[in-house]
Amino acid sequence: MVEVEGYEVKEGLYYSKDYAWVKVEDGKVRIGITDYAQKQLHEVVFAELPEAGSTITRNEPYGSLESVKAVSDLIAPISGTVVEVNQAVVDNPGLINEDPYGEGWLLVVSPSNLEAELGELMDFNAAVEWHKELVKGS
Amino acid sequence: MARRIVIIGGNAAGINAASFARKTDRDAEITIIERDKYAVYSRCGLPFVIAGEIPSFEDLVLYPPDYYKMMRIDLRTETTATAIDKDAKTVEIQDNKTGATETLEYDSLVLCTGARAWIPPIEGRDKKGVYMLRTIDDGRAISDAIREARDAVIIGAGAIGLEMAASLRERGLNVTVVELLPHVLPVSLDQDMARLVQKKLDEHGVRVITGKGVDAILGDERVKAVSVAGEEIKADMVIAATGVRANWDLAKEAGIELGRRGIKTDHRMMTSVEGIYAAGDCVENIHLITKQPSVCQLGTAAVRMGKVAGINAAGGHATFPGFLGSFVTKVFDLQIGATGLTERDAKRFGFDAVSGSIRGVTRAEYYPGGKEVRVKLVVDGETHRVIGGQVVGGEDVTQRVNAISLAIQAGMTIHDLARADTCYAPPLADVWEAIVLAADVTLKRL
Repeated sequence: MVEVEGYEVKEGLYYSKDYAWVKVEDGKVRIGITDYAQKQLHEVVFAELPEAGSTITRNEPYGSLESVKAVSDLIAPISGTVVEVNQAVVDNPGLINEDPYGEGWLLVVSPSNLEAELGELMDFNAAVEWHKELVKGS
Repeated sequence: MARRIVIIGGNAAGINAASFARKTDRDAEITIIERDKYAVYSRCGLPFVIAGEIPSFEDLVLYPPDYYKMMRIDLRTETTATAIDKDAKTVEIQDNKTGATETLEYDSLVLCTGARAWIPPIEGRDKKGVYMLRTIDDGRAISDAIREARDAVIIGAGAIGLEMAASLRERGLNVTVVELLPHVLPVSLDQDMARLVQKKLDEHGVRVITGKGVDAILGDERVKAVSVAGEEIKADMVIAATGVRANWDLAKEAGIELGRRGIKTDHRMMTSVEGIYAAGDCVENIHLITKQPSVCQLGTAAVRMGKVAGINAAGGHATFPGFLGSFVTKVFDLQIGATGLTERDAKRFGFDAVSGSIRGVTRAEYYPGGKEVRVKLVVDGETHRVIGGQVVGGEDVTQRVNAISLAIQAGMTIHDLARADTCYAPPLADVWEAIVLAADVTLKRL
């Protein structure tokens, strides 16, 4: 884990510019939102997530996170079929704020076009550079 | 087709209108038009940057650009709304830099045009060295001027005036506050409570002149002195903290009905025109106790009005209960808060007002470090309901004001308050809560 101007970026993950992270695990991917995103949202109070078995499509919304002050669509970084939904986050959305890269994960997806889509995401080093720009822009 | 929501003004009311509109309608096209370079910064924080308690003015900007992207809000800064056509449902906007104009169509419009600092027509008010505090740019100008200044006069002893007095004093200036009315914080406090604030200002070497107006601001091009009831007070800077006036020209020209001091709104924050809402400092709504038209130009009121306006503008249903004017501020190490009506205002509005006040402590008497806190309650002598409260003390003022506010909103009587269940531990509170003691005192006077 490195910290870029107060925002954590984790090694070994892929990142989208819609503030999603992707972790490849045995042919499946785990998806969540970045530390930067949770910090912009502040305390998340409601997580609207799809059900297991539904499909998600890269660059399209698959759910939303609502905080006290904001609500943001969740944009899929990867296409595929949802195989697992983090029920702990649905029950306690605060987990997203406490541990965005760990306990606060959102979905496990069986990807339909993994190799091509991974190529469109940022790796750790690119994500670090992107975070630097994000902070500069604000 | 997606609902088009246009919000004019991107500050406390505007951003809350946008957020709650988005929460209500996930597909709406939401646009915020903001004249300034910065959207959503805390105006209330300005005096504390000037005092040096907050490192920089940039710290007051609340959201980075990504926040708007995540919310899918089209924020257009440095853009001015120049006209509303309520029949065609369009807004004319102009880019401040390029001068380019554009017509935006809307289904719902929310006016959050705010208010501007206002200075009465005092002779010499346009001299160099006379400032008002409303924007970040004003704050910077004052902060720069302090470096060169030795003597400051502040006109107006409201919250901004007193916060500025403390800030300037802390930065080493000689400070005089001039208030036309008989005491400091004349809108929020009664004279007996204001005396405690005045004492604190005295202790810190701030000179307070009350009951006298400023005759003229003197000097050639630059201010040199201020004349108050014939006395010349040396000044190389003057801050006019004489209140704000609603920005309602845009609404007025569009034929939207105005009240006495703000744009008229109903319980859903809708103006006289269907589909056009208003929120924040530009608005007139009703006072919760007097049920009379009233303005409440405070940040907390702005965010709550913005929330209601945003939900309704997006097709939801929310209502605004009216103003109580709950307020808190800090002058040096003294905390000052109030809610509801003062005793003076209650009488002015025809209530048979009865009041009681008591000095309490914030920790057990024997526990080191406790601070004094004075609580005053105002009661309607007819119904015995609590209609106002004022709290001045060294700590724990905010939540006492909130507790009294809740009591008022819940329609509690002074009998209820005298029996209130409160918490206690020696390091944190006294065994008898000051609000309860004040209620006892007030009961005896009924």
